[in-house]
Amino acid sequence: MLSQLSSRTHVVREGSPWTGVWAVVGKEMADLLTSTRMLILELLILLTAFGTVYAAAQNLRDQTGEARFLFLKLFTTGQDPVPAFVSFLGFLVPLLAIALAFDSINGEFSQRTMSRVLAQPIYRDALLLGKFLAGLFTLALVLTTIWLLIMGLGILSLGVPPTGEEVARGLLFLLLTLCYGGVWLALAMVFSILFRQPATAALASIAVWLFFMVFWGITAQLLAQSLWPAQPSVPATILVQANREMVLNRLSPNTLYGEAMLALLNPSVRSLGLVLPMQLQGAVLGAPLPLSQSVLLIWPHLTGLIAAIILLFAVGYILFQRQEVRA
Amino acid sequence: MKRSAAFVVILVLSVSAFIAGPALADEGQQTTPLEGFIAFTPYPTQEIATGETVTFNLVLRTGASPQVVKLNLNNLPDGWAATFKGGGHIIESAYVEPENDTKIDLKVDPPADVAPGTYDFTVMAHGETDSTTIPIELIVKDKLPPSLKLDADLPVLKGAPDTTFRYNTTLKNEGDEDLVVNLVADAPAGTQVAFKSGGQDVTSLPVAANESKKISVEMTPYTDLQAGDYQINVLAQGGDVEADTTLTAEVAGQSQISVAGPDGRLSEQAYVGKTNPVAIVIQNTGTAPAHNIQLTASPPAGWKVDFEPKQIPELAAGKQMEVTANVHPADQAIAGDYVVTVKAQADEAAQKSTEFRITVLTSTMWGIVGVGLIAVAVVVVGLAVARFGRR
Repeated sequence: MLSQLSSRTHVVREGSPWTGVWAVVGKEMADLLTSTRMLILELLILLTAFGTVYAAAQNLRDQTGEARFLFLKLFTTGQDPVPAFVSFLGFLVPLLAIALAFDSINGEFSQRTMSRVLAQPIYRDALLLGKFLAGLFTLALVLTTIWLLIMGLGILSLGVPPTGEEVARGLLFLLLTLCYGGVWLALAMVFSILFRQPATAALASIAVWLFFMVFWGITAQLLAQSLWPAQPSVPATILVQANREMVLNRLSPNTLYGEAMLALLNPSVRSLGLVLPMQLQGAVLGAPLPLSQSVLLIWPHLTGLIAAIILLFAVGYILFQRQEVRA
Repeated sequence: MKRSAAFVVILVLSVSAFIAGPALADEGQQTTPLEGFIAFTPYPTQEIATGETVTFNLVLRTGASPQVVKLNLNNLPDGWAATFKGGGHIIESAYVEPENDTKIDLKVDPPADVAPGTYDFTVMAHGETDSTTIPIELIVKDKLPPSLKLDADLPVLKGAPDTTFRYNTTLKNEGDEDLVVNLVADAPAGTQVAFKSGGQDVTSLPVAANESKKISVEMTPYTDLQAGDYQINVLAQGGDVEADTTLTAEVAGQSQISVAGPDGRLSEQAYVGKTNPVAIVIQNTGTAPAHNIQLTASPPAGWKVDFEPKQIPELAAGKQMEVTANVHPADQAIAGDYVVTVKAQADEAAQKSTEFRITVLTSTMWGIVGVGLIAVAVVVVGLAVARFGRR
């Protein structure tokens, strides 16, 4: 589609932007997977997975007879003092994604290899896309491995096979986590294009991550309180304020990921927004939602994350295309 | 003591006038033994039916001297058999000692074809010193032929289709013969009949001559009976005789309605913001037609449930009818399960309500919008690639 579009709208362009993408992806993945920082991060995640899932399985073993969606509970159950695996993922995945991409472009510059690469019959498009895809694939590889590991540990420790819906929900959760990681990957890549120093790019990425993780909730609350003041006597204003605060909160990928994860891994979650008591009248509480409805519930979150990836990639692309690459 | 002595005198007088003399001589000194002996029977006149035998108890009592008393019968009608029995043996004489009465049974066996009437005969007792006689009168009556009578207090009972009908009947043996009566009932199909006497299930019971027994006849339907009259023929059989009576159970029909989904399903799906037709089956499981069935629902707040039709004028017994409920969930309803109660009320039956679990589904429109947005973003990137692509 891209090549068709380009040939129609822009006559100057010669050749396909896809040429050489897979070569770049291959080389880049080889680099990433053998790098020491990847090894450290992978070990960290593996350790977390083992610890949390072991603790969760100990906790869940007694419930194999009665509880539904045991395998999903493997991800979400924590046993004091070990928190649930998903709460680790919330910050480990951004860390991993940032580590994968913070020096992807400026690293080439600092090693003075950029002009050498581009001297090959490879477009800049292909280089950028290839680097991004390599990061994404690496991320997918790591996450899938951990996912399989957890499922396997689950079967071993619980002694029951997962049901179809559990697998489907688990796979969707994997996809969601990948999209969440993709956002941070794209962001780190943008910073690696923007800043010539890898350290600066890494710091900037981590700063954004910290901002969303720690400060965005507070900021959203303060903004909502000052922009839409609530009058205690008028319930409608309280509602408006709460709604706006939620909307602001959802600008953060962390919130999107957290909410979507909750709906996917806990089928009895029926709504992610504010629920009025009126809406709960006659509702059967605790009944699991069908998978399709859970997916519909998190669809805005998922599309939001995917859109953020594409948007960040587009920004990075435009920045990179306009850059002078000759050193 | 005087009184009892006088009583003894009267007794002796009435029983055996022949020995009045010696008895009178004893008056005033009752410890003085009798002189000679006396013989008597407490019941000298007895009544029997033809074909029966009878036994008279004879008592022999002696005064001071023990003696052997010879016994024989006088004037016994022809063809009659009579034997004296003592100690299990047939005897002709008995040894009587003072202060110890000797008891002897006289068994009289009239022939089978004896004519009814009064027969007299005498028992002669010959002691060593004197003798005495006991006149005996035996009245033979025609025997009543065996017959049974079975009557019900209330032979017609009315009840609901699942009622146990309980009839109180009296079984009377009007004959002079004890009978063992078998009870048989001819009941309509689908029912079970039990006979109870004294709280126990019986199928046969002894009824003594001229005795009556209360028997309760219970008819229990296995399944609900259709409306109508049911007849139970009860036959009591004892020996060669029998009696019968007919009991009637009037079963009044009753309508009973049930509410469910097709195939008994009680869960349905409904989309938010749409009117969703949900099929509901109203069934009359009773035995009489139900009239004027009104359908109502109690949905959660903000929901609208309309029935089409709202009312069923008549539903015959055993028939079912499909009704469409148009369920419109509240616009604010969240995805997931809600409970909607559907109630049906007929004129003549109790209200029936059934809970339906309605799974609210949200529209997939926003999902498509999301995909569209992503497509737009991809197109934008594509345009950027076309515009900025360079080596």
